[in-house]
Amino acid sequence: MEKLPLGLVIDLNKVVPYKTGSWRTLMPVNIMQIPPCTHACPAGNDIRGFLRVLAEKEDYEQAWHVLARNNPLPATCGRVCPHPCEAGCNRRDFDSSVAINCSERRVGDYGLEHNLEHKKLVSGRKEKIAVVGSGPAGLSCAFHLAKRGFKVKIFEANGEPGGWMRYGIPPYRLPNYILKQEIDNILRLGIDLECNVKVGVNIPLDQLTREYNAVFLGVGAQKGLGIDVPGKDAENVYTGVDFLKQVNSGKWMEIGKDVVVIGGGNTAMDCARVTKRLGANVSVVYRRTRMEMPAITAEIDEAMEERIMFRYHTNPVKLVTDEGRVVGILSVQMELKEPDASGRARPVPISGSEAFIPADTVIMATGQAVDYDGIDVQTVDNQWMYTNEHLMTSMEGVFAGGDAVAGLETVSLAIGQGTRAASAIEDYIEGHVESSLAQPPVVYSRDLNTYYYNKQKKFNKEAVSIHTRLKNFREIYPSFDLKDIIEESKRCFSCGLCFHCGNCYMYCPDSAVKISPSTGGYEFDLDFCKGCGLCAKECPCHYIQLTLEK
Amino acid sequence: MEQSAEELNKIEKKDLFTSGHRACGGCGQALAARLVADASGENTIACVATGCLEVFSSPYPDPSWRIPFLHSLFENAAAVASGVEAAYKALNKGPVNIIAQGGDGSTADIGFQCISGMFERGHNVLYVCYDNEAYMNTGVQRSSFTPLGARTSTTPMGNKTRKKNMPLLAADHGIPYVATATVDDFRDLQRKVKTALSIEGPKYIHILAPCPLGWGHHGELSVQICRLAKDTGIFPIYEIIHGKVSNVRKIPVKVPVEEYLKLQGRFKHLFKKGQPTPEVAEIQEIANQNIERFNL
Ligand SMILES: Cc1cc2nc3c(=O)[nH]c(=O)nc-3n(C[C@H](O)[C@H](O)[C@H](O)COP(=O)(O)OP(=O)(O)OC[C@H]3O[C@@H](n4cnc5c(N)ncnc54)[C@H](O)[C@@H]3O)c2cc1C
Ligand SMILES: Cc1ncc(C[n+]2csc(CCOP(=O)(O)OP(=O)(O)O)c2C)c(N)n1
Ligand code: SF4
Ligand SMILES: [Mg+2]
Repeated sequence: MEKLPLGLVIDLNKVVPYKTGSWRTLMPVNIMQIPPCTHACPAGNDIRGFLRVLAEKEDYEQAWHVLARNNPLPATCGRVCPHPCEAGCNRRDFDSSVAINCSERRVGDYGLEHNLEHKKLVSGRKEKIAVVGSGPAGLSCAFHLAKRGFKVKIFEANGEPGGWMRYGIPPYRLPNYILKQEIDNILRLGIDLECNVKVGVNIPLDQLTREYNAVFLGVGAQKGLGIDVPGKDAENVYTGVDFLKQVNSGKWMEIGKDVVVIGGGNTAMDCARVTKRLGANVSVVYRRTRMEMPAITAEIDEAMEERIMFRYHTNPVKLVTDEGRVVGILSVQMELKEPDASGRARPVPISGSEAFIPADTVIMATGQAVDYDGIDVQTVDNQWMYTNEHLMTSMEGVFAGGDAVAGLETVSLAIGQGTRAASAIEDYIEGHVESSLAQPPVVYSRDLNTYYYNKQKKFNKEAVSIHTRLKNFREIYPSFDLKDIIEESKRCFSCGLCFHCGNCYMYCPDSAVKISPSTGGYEFDLDFCKGCGLCAKECPCHYIQLTLEK
Repeated sequence: MEQSAEELNKIEKKDLFTSGHRACGGCGQALAARLVADASGENTIACVATGCLEVFSSPYPDPSWRIPFLHSLFENAAAVASGVEAAYKALNKGPVNIIAQGGDGSTADIGFQCISGMFERGHNVLYVCYDNEAYMNTGVQRSSFTPLGARTSTTPMGNKTRKKNMPLLAADHGIPYVATATVDDFRDLQRKVKTALSIEGPKYIHILAPCPLGWGHHGELSVQICRLAKDTGIFPIYEIIHGKVSNVRKIPVKVPVEEYLKLQGRFKHLFKKGQPTPEVAEIQEIANQNIERFNL
């Protein structure tokens, strides 16, 4: 008889494990999702992308490339954008949002300090595209088209490129040299720029449509609008944008001692702060209250810090003139009644509340309109340009975006529309239909497991003292420390994308989470995964989700 | 075997306890056993008592253990481990990590005298108890670790007694090292296993190991339930080094016991129409006593 060993012998190297994966009814999957910051960013910045590069590799150069891939004006947006991304940030429900805007500015500045250049994706395509206007919409559209190899030429009516970033936003918020460097960097992709040419006046639009394969109109809203009151045509009365344009062109303005700015938007704040720096006593006259003011909150705060006087509930009825010059305004006090169509409380005058406010200069920062001179496209309500879902205007092959289409908006929104228009133009030229693939879902706070994050204070930018800042037009927020921004980047939750915390790998009771030899990321061994869902539940950033077994 | 703080805090994943075992999805005990095996390393012998762990991890011919594994009976894991240690001594072999492991039934009830003997005789063995608060393998019968109020198949109206305090009983044997741990904090758990193994003499580690089947929760909640057990004060986390309670885990934000109880089917009868019955207050009192006693 054969002699058997005492007991059973198993060669552990030859064990064939039992495949418990057959028990599964739910299956874990890794799904990259859209973080709410990017969802809220009108320019579509890859915020999580650049913050993770900073946090994991402390590599500013790569972070710049990630950011500048979508948005060629990060140093500019990092200064002037009202950053809706931060309002979207899931961290707000935990402690406070990540300082995305400051991080963007620091990364943008790093790119300029180190002369980092944009990379072309394709080169040498023969199709030519004309871009009208070099504001953020035109620049962004030109940038994305040039990267894809198209020959792009920008026509600009002003003497210098940049649109309202150049001639509207004052240098204490956005220094000229920063904007100029970012624009030069865009043009370095081989984009032609011709200034002092007003399309529709100096050169007909038809000529562009004939000579180019497509045209993009990023003409913005160049005409300042005042309010219709007696005395509005006096010589020391300006519209907000006209006034700023003159100051930002380097023209010396005689404004006198008392300046009254009418309006409550960004332009009004800028006019007030500029005239304050020119040495005037400034008051802002607004029909409603601070609550209803359309200006960016930070700008109102800064204006108040700079001791600008705000007269709320005040409405000008007449500009009092003497020999063709304004000497003051006659105003009436308003009370707020039930909301109007805009949702804001409706101001109604209180009888007998008239008052006189002396003024050497009056600035009416009360709106802008599109200049359609020589540009014969269909409009919406006689105001903004009509475009279809591919951003094409009523003229075949002529696309549009930015303020002219969206109404008075922001730099980042104009950039986003320029980006979309570039894709639409490429599709138009190649005869594609714009892809309408569903976007991945957005990750919200309720999807996260915040147990694994630690509370940490938000980075706070610090302005120079009021005393020094009012003396000149220098930028009021000095540069940020590179190290502080690295620390800040580590606060990013990485919503919707694995950041290698290792929870799934360590928690799986079945060791069914493996490290991929090719990518180094975590992947599921479906031969053994029982579908318990522990990995998904303990994934901090919602990258892992359970789906029904196929 | 002295180890640096860095080595002690390192997370270990060596897959010495591998895939293919038959534990339920989300089993806390399977997770704990892997964390213990990986922390102790290749040079380890596991002596495991009868119970879920033994049954789900060692079927012929495909066991999950990649270290020597010895199973004999429900009641004698500690005695077997004592014998292994004595044999190594007699043969002048070693050093080797010997870890006796058992469920709460095995530890608290039927195996108690073997453990007590092992402690008293001073064997150089680490005993790990996987506490899932009932006899799970045979169908959720009550053990002396079953907490007050929990429904088991032998306490259908809820358990009427309080849980035996095994870590303190172990410490009172005068052994050099006792610790408690849960599966949610794998770093802490593995550090305690490594610390224990670096100390000569008998050691005891008590690990709370949620059982989705017996506790009536979905497997995905096993980690969260552990966290709540800690943050309510129901399961205090501490070490007892040479008789001195140390490294007590402070609760960051204290949570009422309801949060812990509500996630588990075995406590469902403690809530009538969503309102807690008086037993919940009693359970809260137990948690409060823990908080006071260990200054959590
Ligand atoms: C004073 C002020 C402050 C602002 N502050 C902020 C801020 O802090 N943050 C923010 O996000 N946004 C701010 N904005 C808004 C922002 O500047 C605009 O939303 C943005 O510039 C719009 O971009 P755009 O490219 O559509 O148009 P624009 O910036 O207006 O650029 C249009 C360009 O087209 C040129 N152009 C027009 N017609 C023709 C033509 N026929 N031929 C050739 N060229 C033409 C114009 O000269 C101009 O250069 C501010 C705006 C103003 C006026
Ligand atoms: C002497 C003896 N009595 C009863 C049994 C049956 N039995 C096997 S496992 C078990 C319960 C194990 O409970 P526990 O130790 O808590 O481990 P768990 O299964 O809960 O992990 C019982 C009663 C046995 N194997 N031996
Ligand atoms: S019954 Fe409980 S202890 Fe046993 S394998 Fe299932 S979950 Fe784990
Ligand atoms: Mg048990």
